[in-house]
Amino acid sequence: MKKLFFAASAASLLAGTWLAPAQAEYLKEHRGGTIRLLARSAAGTLDPHINYTDQGWQMYQPIYDGLVAFRKAEGMDGFTIVPDLAEALPVVTNDGKTFTFKLRKGIKFSSGQDLGVKDVVASFQRIFKISGPTSGTFYAGIVGADKCLADTKSCTLEGGVVGDEAAGTITINITKPDAELLYKLALPHAVVLPADTPAEDMGSKPIPSTGAYMISAFDPNKGMTVSRNPNFKQWSEEAQPDGYPDVVQYDFGLSEEAAVSAIQNGEADWMFDALPSDRLGELGSKSMDQLHISPLSAWWYAPLNNRLAPFDNEKARQAVAYAVDRNTLVKLFGGKVLASPVCQVLPPDFPGHEDYCPFTKNPGAKWSAPDLDKAKQLVEESGTKGQKVTIIAEDTAISRSVGVYLQSVLTSIGYVADVKPISSNIQFTYIQNTNNKVQMSITQWYKDYPAASDFLNILFSCASFREGSDASINIAGFCDKDIDTKMQKALDLGVTDQKAADKLWAEIDREVTDKAPAVGLFTPKRLDFVSKRVGNFKFNRQFNWMITQSWVQ
Amino acid sequence: MSNQAIAMPRKTRGPWAVAFAKLATDRAAVASLAVFLLIVLACLSAPLYAKWAGTDPFASTLDAVIQIDGVDVPVMEQSTEGLGLGYTPIGPTWRLGNYFLGADSQGRDVMARMLYGGLSSLLISGAATIFTLIIGTLAGLIAGYFGGITDTVLSRFLDVLWAFPIYLLAISLSIVTIAQGISIGPIEIESGSLWLPVIIIGIVYVPYVARPIRGQVLSLRHSEFVFAAINLGVPGWRILWRDILPNITTTLIVFVPLMMALNMLTESALSFLSIGVQPPAASWGTIIQDGQALLYTRPLVALVPGLAIAVSVMVLNVFGDGLRDALDPRSKVRLGRD
Amino acid sequence: MIYAILRRFGQMLFVMFGISVIVFLIFFATPGADPAARIAGRNASPEVLEAVRHSFGFDQPLYVQYVKMMEKIFVTGDLTSFVNRGWRVVPAVMDSIPVTLSLVFGAAILWVVVSIIIGIVAAATRGSWLDKLLMALGLLGISMPVYWLGEVMNLITQSRYHDNWAFSWVPPLGYKNFSDDPKGWFLTLVIPWITLAILYIGIYGRVLRAAIIESMQEDYIRTARAKGLSETRILLRHALRTSLIAFVTLFGLDFGALVGGSALLTEVVFGLHGIGKLTYDALQNLDLPMIMATVMYASMFVVIANAVVDFVYILLDPRLRTS
Repeated sequence: MKKLFFAASAASLLAGTWLAPAQAEYLKEHRGGTIRLLARSAAGTLDPHINYTDQGWQMYQPIYDGLVAFRKAEGMDGFTIVPDLAEALPVVTNDGKTFTFKLRKGIKFSSGQDLGVKDVVASFQRIFKISGPTSGTFYAGIVGADKCLADTKSCTLEGGVVGDEAAGTITINITKPDAELLYKLALPHAVVLPADTPAEDMGSKPIPSTGAYMISAFDPNKGMTVSRNPNFKQWSEEAQPDGYPDVVQYDFGLSEEAAVSAIQNGEADWMFDALPSDRLGELGSKSMDQLHISPLSAWWYAPLNNRLAPFDNEKARQAVAYAVDRNTLVKLFGGKVLASPVCQVLPPDFPGHEDYCPFTKNPGAKWSAPDLDKAKQLVEESGTKGQKVTIIAEDTAISRSVGVYLQSVLTSIGYVADVKPISSNIQFTYIQNTNNKVQMSITQWYKDYPAASDFLNILFSCASFREGSDASINIAGFCDKDIDTKMQKALDLGVTDQKAADKLWAEIDREVTDKAPAVGLFTPKRLDFVSKRVGNFKFNRQFNWMITQSWVQ
Repeated sequence: MSNQAIAMPRKTRGPWAVAFAKLATDRAAVASLAVFLLIVLACLSAPLYAKWAGTDPFASTLDAVIQIDGVDVPVMEQSTEGLGLGYTPIGPTWRLGNYFLGADSQGRDVMARMLYGGLSSLLISGAATIFTLIIGTLAGLIAGYFGGITDTVLSRFLDVLWAFPIYLLAISLSIVTIAQGISIGPIEIESGSLWLPVIIIGIVYVPYVARPIRGQVLSLRHSEFVFAAINLGVPGWRILWRDILPNITTTLIVFVPLMMALNMLTESALSFLSIGVQPPAASWGTIIQDGQALLYTRPLVALVPGLAIAVSVMVLNVFGDGLRDALDPRSKVRLGRD
Repeated sequence: MIYAILRRFGQMLFVMFGISVIVFLIFFATPGADPAARIAGRNASPEVLEAVRHSFGFDQPLYVQYVKMMEKIFVTGDLTSFVNRGWRVVPAVMDSIPVTLSLVFGAAILWVVVSIIIGIVAAATRGSWLDKLLMALGLLGISMPVYWLGEVMNLITQSRYHDNWAFSWVPPLGYKNFSDDPKGWFLTLVIPWITLAILYIGIYGRVLRAAIIESMQEDYIRTARAKGLSETRILLRHALRTSLIAFVTLFGLDFGALVGGSALLTEVVFGLHGIGKLTYDALQNLDLPMIMATVMYASMFVVIANAVVDFVYILLDPRLRTS
């Protein structure tokens, strides 16, 4: 497999319509072919304004564009925002409440229509008209959003997103300064679609796109075909580069074991789902150069119900945090190469992350070993010894084994524990609803975008807790007014001084971790297994493997 | 004076005694029964085995280290080649009391779990079989005997049952009972209760039993002795109980081993959905489920419970065959002077 | 005759109605099954949740939702999935029928032929080692969980011995249309056919053997023997016919269920997107519209199969004709 260092791209920082020399050469040599991808099932709807899955977001990268985008690069560089459909990063005025973008000219949709200001305005209105999942959270700060949320049908976002056809600009006004606005605009929920796209979930009907590729066929039971956009001309290599394969054929239905065999036999090129643990050894020794291990900003954690016995008692929660042997969990996940123990909320290499682990034998920066004695002592002190605890796990191999292990741990420190795996499709909403009286559960959280608030504010702020609702992402039910105020302060600080804000977030991270509303378990790494013919594998930290930036011939 | 002894009626053995004697001479049946009892005994001795081996088959022991021939061997072996990805549980050591069949993905002793699991599986399948036979027979008897509307309604009800997505019911029941459990009269059903799989599995095969029984009752209905009884004015339920039921007993008895087999398999399929025996408790079905994730490295973990089910099913069936032969008054085997 | 068919049709409607109501109730009685939050997306704000609930009609009383759903399935045919939005369930079900039929018909032919042969041979050589061997093999077949067997087949043919001459002909998993590639269609299905048939061969072989042995002891067989007919002729022309009754009854039940999608684990393991896989995915995802559609379809087949079996029953057993 050729390793390509995009040193050349550093020279092509500014938006240009010319291709960097290295890229041009590689395109000539390797352009073409069909890359075959496998997944167990489709990722839900095709509509980028609604789809909220890693699988969908990864595939949208070469297909759709927003005003801005995450740079299509490896490493931490992949977290940088670069202009995409806008000519340049926005002009910010009005104390950070007004963002003016100049729209690029000459871009066409895959259907042949020209991209214009009206399409951008319509797309933003559409986010609300179709009740997009993040319309009430990420985009609620836009002026006029409150009216739109109250009455989606008549949404105009008046004063919020204003288009000037003559000048070719779009102005976005928000109610208060938001340091994370550009990140939110770079997500698939804010991509630009043709103005005449119906204001309803498009489901299985492909929507015309501006990117290097377009969705040409889709059957949720069989597969998806993505082929080149005939009207595409590369305008920015770092935002929307031209791709190598002519066609991406994404097939659904094969089980994980079957998919691994298929890739080994050269019948497919990559699989989306996690590799089954009994193939890891075989692959790790025989197919080393076909494996790629990349860091993820995510964590597996066990929320404890802070409002129900026994975990309404802080000592009981801390006891569990001390007792869990995170090395064992790492073993269950596949070993040190694939996961690392974690005590705190923010994942490594994340803004605001400073190594911190109080729940271990030698408290300090990193976790070393469980402290069972301390745990048992805390259980005694809390007075909750002998109480019944039920752990709700997902019905997948890994979640189940984590659950079984945690049950063992709880039993050893003095609780009467049992574990119940439920269907993975409802487990996530089940554990959020307080009516189900869930004491402890096992779940994961993957970042939306690289900001500390995406973990701390979303998972642990008072506002994220809703009684009796299936959508109460603060599963632990944690609410601390002081920490809430601090989080607000950090959000405000980020507008002017992100570094200072990150320091504040690190402090918040420590405070939240100390109270142990949830037990951090481990942070996983992404393991990608590709076939022998795939070359130029590049992993983007925001959206994972950049599929069309690899070649197959 | 002639020596004429008065002919006294000699006491003959009843039909059950005859059957028993016949069964006793069927070597295959007797051997199968012995094997089955052996299996049951082995499973009952599970706690003793676990104690002797010094393992807790329900605790996750991924860091355990055992001794084989004086050498310390960790129960979960890390892959050392290449990237060193993944952990593989040790394979069979073939040493009784010391991870005889190796470990599973939680580092537990598979042999100990097999013994505990056997109890659960046999218990569940047995209870479910009884459940199916009782309900199925009742349905078949009533539908076959009374005919008409009763038959139509019951048959359609059985159709609904047969076409019903039992897995949906299973998933739903398992979730409903997590929080509070259900009570039907004296039966208390909590989430981990074994009643759940028993009822679900029992329901699945009711139509399988009811339809052939119904068919048999239909033809018996038209036989002369039933006709005679009806004409004599014998009430319906009495005819069912004294005339028809004894005649279908043979069919029922033959059904038992077949049902046990199918139920054991259904139990293992339901384990796929984590219904019934909850982790960390074991049943042969859940061990197969654990073994699925180890199929490419430790196929034995999935193979052994499958074999155990196969052997149990086989001996039950052979015994069932012998039982049917013994009970069949028309079979060719004749015994002694009776 | 017409009256009987109409009556059966009415009963089919009753069965389908009954099942649909029960499925509907079970779905909404299951805590956590409410699709609104899952459809709305993670961390949805309360307004979004309400809007989704309203647009899908979840805020209406259950019976209204039920009627609307039934209308969408049967009248307008545009019921869409909760999980893969915009995907029409009825055409999806229609599309997957040929796959399941290919799997089930092939397996059925295989198992019927083999089990009849095994049943006859075992009954004819009753008590011999051949008999015992056949029954033991049959038992082995019954005792293996089908999903386990399928995975083992994959392990052998796709992975471990894929390059071996014995299995190199096995194509990659996944269904191929008969119209596009008949040879590929056939090769892809061979291993699944065998896997599915193994379970049933065991059961049917035993059932047939037991039935034949039982009918060999009937009086009319003794008459035939007294008349001087050969054992083979007696077996094949007289005993077999009545023994097939039990065989056919069971076959009807099983075949009907299979066509309706009960081979779901086989389809999942071999990557065949038939009705069974649709059902399995729908259950895993708790996708009510798809569950409804597949359950309706399955129940339709069960009733049809039962009706056909009853009819064939009458054909086979002359005793029932007169009653």
